Amino acid sequence: MVELDTIPPFFADKQELVGEILGRYPEVGKRSAVMPLLWEVQRAERYISEARINEIAEILDLHATEVKGVMSFYSEYHGEPVGKYHLQVCSTLSCSLAGSDQLYDYLVEKLGIVNGETDEEGRFSIQKVECLGSCGTGPVLQVNDVYYERVSRSRCDSLLEALKKDEMPEAWRERGGDNEGETKAGFLRNPVSNGGAGEGEG
Amino acid sequence: MKVQVNDVHMEFPQGTSVIDAIFAAGYDVPYFCSQEYMSPVGACRMCLARIGAPRKDKQGDWILDEGTGEPKIFYFPNMMATCTTQVMEGMVVDTLSEDVKRVQNGMVEFTLINHPLDCPVCDKGGACELQDRSYEYGTGVSRFEFDKRHQEKHHPLSELITLDRERCIHCKRCVRYFEEVPGDGVLDFIERGGHTYIGTLDPGLPSNFTGNITDICPVGALLDTTSRFRGRNWEYQHTRTTGMDDASGSAILVDGRTGRIERVKAALNPDVNKTWIDDGTRFGHEYVDAPDRLETPLLRVGGELKAVSWEEAAAFIKDRLAGLSGKDLGIAIRADATLEEGVAAKALAEALGTGQLDHAPRPAASVIPAQDPATFTDLATADGILVVGDVTEEVPIADLRIKDAMRGVTPPELMAHGVPIADLRLKEHPLLRRGILTVAAPYRVDLMKHAGQAVTYPVGGEAALFGALTKIAEAGDGQAAEEQAGLDDGERAALGMPYRDAAALVTRLKGAERAVVVYGGFVLATKAAADAAAAFAKAVQAKVMILGPMANSYGLELLNVGPSHERYAYPGMLGEARALILSNLDPAQDPDVRQVLEQKDLLVVHDSFLTETAAMADVVLPARSVFEKDGTTVNLEGRFLGVHAAPVESGESEDFTGLVGALGEALGQRLEGRSVRSARRVLRKRFELDPAELPPAGRLVRPKGRRTARVAIRSQEASEGNLLVTPSMVRVEYLSRNPHLEALTGGPRLRMRSDDAAMQGVAEGDAVKLRVGGVLRRAVVRIDDGLPPGLMLLPCLPDQPVGLARADLTTLAREERELEVAG
Amino acid sequence: MSDVTGSSQDLADTRPITSRRDPRYEVVMYRHVGVEGAHTLDYYRSHGGYEAARKALTEMSPSQVIDEVKASKLRGRGGAGFPTGVKWSFMPPVDGRQRLLVVNADESEPGSFKDRYIMEDDPHQLIEGMIIGCHAIQATKGMVYIRGEYVKGYERLLGAVREARQAGILGKDVLGSDIEVDITVHRGAGAYICGEETALMNSLEGLRGNPRLKPPFPAQAGVYGLPTTINNVTTMTSVVHIITRGADWFASMGTEDSKGTKLYQISGPVERPGVYELPMGATFRELIYDLAGGPREPAKGFFPGGSSTPPLPWKDEYLDLTMTYDAMAKAGSMLGTGGVIVIPKEKDIVSAMYNVVRFYAHESCGKCTPCREGIATWLPKMYQKLLAGLGTREDLTLMEDMVRNTRGTAFCPLADACAMPVQASFKWFRDEYEYIVDNGRPMYTKSDWWQA
Repeated sequence: MVELDTIPPFFADKQELVGEILGRYPEVGKRSAVMPLLWEVQRAERYISEARINEIAEILDLHATEVKGVMSFYSEYHGEPVGKYHLQVCSTLSCSLAGSDQLYDYLVEKLGIVNGETDEEGRFSIQKVECLGSCGTGPVLQVNDVYYERVSRSRCDSLLEALKKDEMPEAWRERGGDNEGETKAGFLRNPVSNGGAGEGEG
Repeated sequence: MKVQVNDVHMEFPQGTSVIDAIFAAGYDVPYFCSQEYMSPVGACRMCLARIGAPRKDKQGDWILDEGTGEPKIFYFPNMMATCTTQVMEGMVVDTLSEDVKRVQNGMVEFTLINHPLDCPVCDKGGACELQDRSYEYGTGVSRFEFDKRHQEKHHPLSELITLDRERCIHCKRCVRYFEEVPGDGVLDFIERGGHTYIGTLDPGLPSNFTGNITDICPVGALLDTTSRFRGRNWEYQHTRTTGMDDASGSAILVDGRTGRIERVKAALNPDVNKTWIDDGTRFGHEYVDAPDRLETPLLRVGGELKAVSWEEAAAFIKDRLAGLSGKDLGIAIRADATLEEGVAAKALAEALGTGQLDHAPRPAASVIPAQDPATFTDLATADGILVVGDVTEEVPIADLRIKDAMRGVTPPELMAHGVPIADLRLKEHPLLRRGILTVAAPYRVDLMKHAGQAVTYPVGGEAALFGALTKIAEAGDGQAAEEQAGLDDGERAALGMPYRDAAALVTRLKGAERAVVVYGGFVLATKAAADAAAAFAKAVQAKVMILGPMANSYGLELLNVGPSHERYAYPGMLGEARALILSNLDPAQDPDVRQVLEQKDLLVVHDSFLTETAAMADVVLPARSVFEKDGTTVNLEGRFLGVHAAPVESGESEDFTGLVGALGEALGQRLEGRSVRSARRVLRKRFELDPAELPPAGRLVRPKGRRTARVAIRSQEASEGNLLVTPSMVRVEYLSRNPHLEALTGGPRLRMRSDDAAMQGVAEGDAVKLRVGGVLRRAVVRIDDGLPPGLMLLPCLPDQPVGLARADLTTLAREERELEVAG
Repeated sequence: MSDVTGSSQDLADTRPITSRRDPRYEVVMYRHVGVEGAHTLDYYRSHGGYEAARKALTEMSPSQVIDEVKASKLRGRGGAGFPTGVKWSFMPPVDGRQRLLVVNADESEPGSFKDRYIMEDDPHQLIEGMIIGCHAIQATKGMVYIRGEYVKGYERLLGAVREARQAGILGKDVLGSDIEVDITVHRGAGAYICGEETALMNSLEGLRGNPRLKPPFPAQAGVYGLPTTINNVTTMTSVVHIITRGADWFASMGTEDSKGTKLYQISGPVERPGVYELPMGATFRELIYDLAGGPREPAKGFFPGGSSTPPLPWKDEYLDLTMTYDAMAKAGSMLGTGGVIVIPKEKDIVSAMYNVVRFYAHESCGKCTPCREGIATWLPKMYQKLLAGLGTREDLTLMEDMVRNTRGTAFCPLADACAMPVQASFKWFRDEYEYIVDNGRPMYTKSDWWQA
């Protein structure tokens, strides 16, 4: 706890926020606040240090070990700092069939870092992640919290260029099927005939 | 529930786990994750079996097998983990078929793929559940051809426990243990999946019960650092005995090898400690093998202590006594002496006609409650508990049994194979009934963090606290209760809590069906407090558990090893007597007492080490440690328990019966208590039981007639002081000879506020010395701003018992001191 | 919603609706998904939103709601397909304890992405479903466990809850009734296993997301030991329309065992991947060809309902199966989440299955031995060996044997979710496994799947 003295506490001036988070759960469920509190730290500091784990443990009357046990279970919490732009490439089957392995290779080539690494500048980290729930619009690249979908080579280039200039584009929210909206998928609102159904290959 | 296990038909109560049915039927399945006193979790998947049961149709009739006309057995599609499955009416369990064998082989194979084959150098070898189960249920062949997982092999979780992460098979016993037993989440799984490992962020594993994980680890992943690499399991001689570290009477297993104690483990006593012991009991044995153990009697010849024989020493004592009247002799034994030693001390005192006899430390008040004392089972099944004091330090097992009560699960019924392996009433992450527990103490104690109500009352205010609570209890609980209670301002302050909370506590205890009031040294320190506590317990109809200061305080009081007059009580006798025989006591640490002792005509010290008192004695007689005695002790429940000698090499050391035997021989008298055997004849008559034939769980004895102690009580009323001597789980008098415990604790702790520390020019972690009640104490400063201003805390010694004391602050000084840390 | 009355139902036709081509069929749950601004309370209300909740709260008793849902024969849309009304009726009698409705929005099954768009684009639909559900089980608190990566959905849902509170739709007197419902949105942090309901409960309680023992079942002692019901996102949104249009409307769609309308997903190399709402009883062919435009390249198989469901070969007999619980069980697979993944011919099955196995290895919680050591450790190493060209026929035997030992032996369904597709891949595509061990290289070598 001695080293805590040297780092300003994170939650000391955020009592209102802590109170709001605790208030989300029944009194018996105080411990539920551990994940939201970890999120608050990570959002602000991009990783969760041991000092912060101790702080959260204190707030929730837990042992630091218990907080660490929870934190380390979930793949999105980082125990080490990641770059300013954390490039998470979905590698699971649907994205892989849409070229995510090649997207990853391309990022490696462009940035000179591999899975789990951060560049010297601290700007980019690359991480291969599992299914992001964007299977119909792959390959998907999640940068920090934002999804960029159907990432092509040229779109990847423009995204990296923008990020190098610290301009984070709006999410590319690609659509498909019934979520394309009224204009695009209008025809789907009305039944179509069975015309055009293909034959099985097998 | 009728159940068929292979070819055996048996009946079991509802709720029985299938694994227990299997074992009760005389069959076996392997298991790693289940542990008798923890929640079954079904994690290791070793205990899989094929299970089926009949079903009823919509009309509620059994569906019959067309062929046999018997109820048709519907098998579960999957193998079931028997530790997490309950028996059902008509259930059929198969543990022997090829299908079952295949999955058992498969699970052993999976378990072994990442387990290192370092059995030849593993401390668990020969006592390893994985080794045994692989032999019994494995194929003997591994098809895993890849590198095993490489992880840290010598990770010190604390000074006392070493973790080999490669050996861990993720049974989660240790993690569940900390969550469920002491309730200290200091160990957890880190990461997940194939990367999961055991770890901590709480340095030193802050819990008083860490060592138990080394007992329950099914493999050699968690090891007692004090015994690591000291011997193979088949080389150890195992002695089951009773822990003499505190008044719980916990069952322990002492493992000795070549005349040394290599380790102490917990043994099973379902009625007392289950399978748990505290770290003081487990790791506090190293002193026994300290190089400066006394091995022969010493006699002062020409100012120097010279090694002599027992006969020579006894002859010397006889000669000196010859010049004195027998009643000039004072005899005092430490309160962890056995009953047999107590008989011996009494016999010697009687033979010499002296009333100057006592055991010490002995508190001002009796440790035997007026009514039958609460048992641990009473405590574990209580629905209302008030603790006054620091039970965790005084009798640590009581702390764990209180947590059992909060869990609300009664102790399991024993089965044919012993304690049920999987008690399905135990759940992981249970909601605890914290509300049933109130903990009150003059400072913040460990158990408070688990209590529904925590009360800090003024130092020395035990009598006032109980007095005020009794008034509330007697006032009834109507609207006018507060008025009826009629507490004045002083009494309100004594509560340490608002009236409303105190009234709620009283109502809760009164309303409880099985209320228990637990108190120890702080209350026993004055008769007034003890009387007030007893009165309160009576008012709320609670049973009482009194935490005596030492292992056999209860027994020695029951045996009436005490003075004929309060003037002769210890330590008063030190001034009264002209000659003294002191067993395992060291009063000369106080310079004033030392001066008094220097005037004695004869000073005989019976001890294992050359203490300050021994060093000035005329005769020093080597004493057996508590691990080297045969005898009987009585725990705080009034339970008689056997004490058995481990094969420890300690030269010519004798217990007090041996001393009395030697002295009697010199005196030409056949004294009762001249040996353990002869002492037992006395005990048999006195207590109507045979100490040599006590069952492993001991025997509760409820003597008829007299309830209160006949022993004259030291007259001592509330003293004043600036330092509270506190109970201590760790035996401070031996700490410097217990290097691992000393390294863990850093030494005895002087707890003080930061402002007080600043005023005295000391800081956190400083090694300091100061005189407390004359005794020079060495300690390490620990800042605790939760303390009342001006108060310091220091753990007790046998010669500095619990209670308020005066510390001479002018003597408080930092000192350069190197702790001896085990390498 | 608003245009319910305008729907052109042919009242004379009483045959069940089993195709989107049926003129009586109407998209309901995804009607507004994808529409700009549909996530706002204004939009939702102007399209008839919260009328179902108002109806349930003011006109129906809890047991009437449960009966209606039972009559609709709605089965849970999370994958297991347990009848929702029956599940609700498992809640113990009201005993003063708080009761909880938990929505499982930890959508993480590869090939599944239907819930995400609802929470991003139509969060009020979910909230409305939860209000009805809370009323049915007499819970005062709803909790949504949303996976950590769905930040957009999380923020939209939080915003919608805030809007609803301000509008008196959540809080003490919901929609002017005397019923209290509030909603907490809890964000996960990357753990597939938390989609398993007992792991979800642990995670929600702030514990590690390991599955826990059942019994006790959630209804008896769920989150915080309180009576709890756990439902999937689209189970909740289905309820909205069941209340609006009636159980009969819902039950008029589908087959005997699988009723109503359901969201299906399709991914992999097809012309128009995405989420499609179809009546149950529709075939894979309708989804893959009519709606998604068919495969962009020759296909050899497909996962019928997410990567946990055993893949089926690309044969007419399977393409013509209805996407229903029973038909899938009969075919030796499962309906799962309804997330179809098309496997192109050129994707070597060994590498495709390695991808799937790697996912489960990454997501294994580590609690039990067969999953931690078999699925998470040994099996991926075997695939790596095969893909490195070092495998033998004996290795194939070993893999099959080892996978068999993980079947039905693990604590929770995750191990089976990996083992069953692997076993199916051995069954249908054994030639590719044999090819790679015999030749040291895969049968299909296409490696660049990046389109642009």
